[in-house]
Amino acid sequence: MFLLLTSFILPQHMNPAAETKKWVISQNSNLRVNGSTNVNKFTCEILAYDQTDTLILNKSKSDKEIALSGSVSLKVLSFDCHNSIMTHDLQKTLKQKEFPCLHISFLSLNKLPVLSIRPEPITGRVDIEIAGIRKRFDINYRISVDAQKNIHLLGSQDVNFSDFNLKPPRKLGGLIKTNDKLNVDFHLKMKNME
Amino acid sequence: MKKILISGLIAGCILFIVSYGGLFLAVKFFPGLFIEYNNPLFNSDGSRDVLFYLHAFIISFALSWFWDRFKGLFKGALILRGFEFGLVYSVIALLPVMWISFSALDITVVMVVSWFLYGLVQAIIAGLVFAKINP
Repeated sequence: MFLLLTSFILPQHMNPAAETKKWVISQNSNLRVNGSTNVNKFTCEILAYDQTDTLILNKSKSDKEIALSGSVSLKVLSFDCHNSIMTHDLQKTLKQKEFPCLHISFLSLNKLPVLSIRPEPITGRVDIEIAGIRKRFDINYRISVDAQKNIHLLGSQDVNFSDFNLKPPRKLGGLIKTNDKLNVDFHLKMKNME
Repeated sequence: MKKILISGLIAGCILFIVSYGGLFLAVKFFPGLFIEYNNPLFNSDGSRDVLFYLHAFIISFALSWFWDRFKGLFKGALILRGFEFGLVYSVIALLPVMWISFSALDITVVMVVSWFLYGLVQAIIAGLVFAKINP
């Protein structure tokens, strides 16, 4: 009876059966957005993540998936498209003045990664919030650890401007138009804080 | 007045097809020329598309009035009158506007020259149409 009661009362991270890990995201993490128009291609990057956030992994014996908590907030103003005009255009499209940050919330992983030098494919669920609209995505990651014990989480996901109720920029009455699809690549560098 | 409107409308329809057809083909075959248009100076939310596509009719009605008022000054064969009309319009109206645009806006020489040539071709085509239907 006591066990039955405490299983409801104790939060999951205090459950002795659960395995918890903390990964601290380092400032060398980066994110790249690749897009195209009908006249050119562009790449916009945030080369240095300027905050230190923590991801908490929680595996309980009963669950197949690994619960993740933690998020990263990226300043839209930090995007650099290597062309001031393109940079300004992207920031305008992402409604930077109304929504200065985009957010990626990590929700789960399909398994607890082994963490070896060899990149391990793994899938995870994230919520991406851009311009105030939140969408859920299943992302294919590759996770590995280097000699300095840095954890590298590389992910890639196609998203559409329209997923976030954003209109891709169009010029000259639509004769020049940005394609709806964007490819988002990110590389999180993290340290295990057991 | 009726002649001005009818010749303006006919020239507008022809310019609409030639101008936007030409732009469409130019974007398709010479995309490099249009990279500079990814610029916040240019409207990007589609809210002014109707105005953009009405330009062919705005210029054709304006030129139709101009032709009707000064057509006596353009002498010679139809082709010569059309070309001279286009050149006069370009030198009087386009050149100063392009000059001030380049001096004040963050745009390239290629952009300004292409706009000048675009306007010149439009005016010559309009001049040829007016010389034919409103001699």
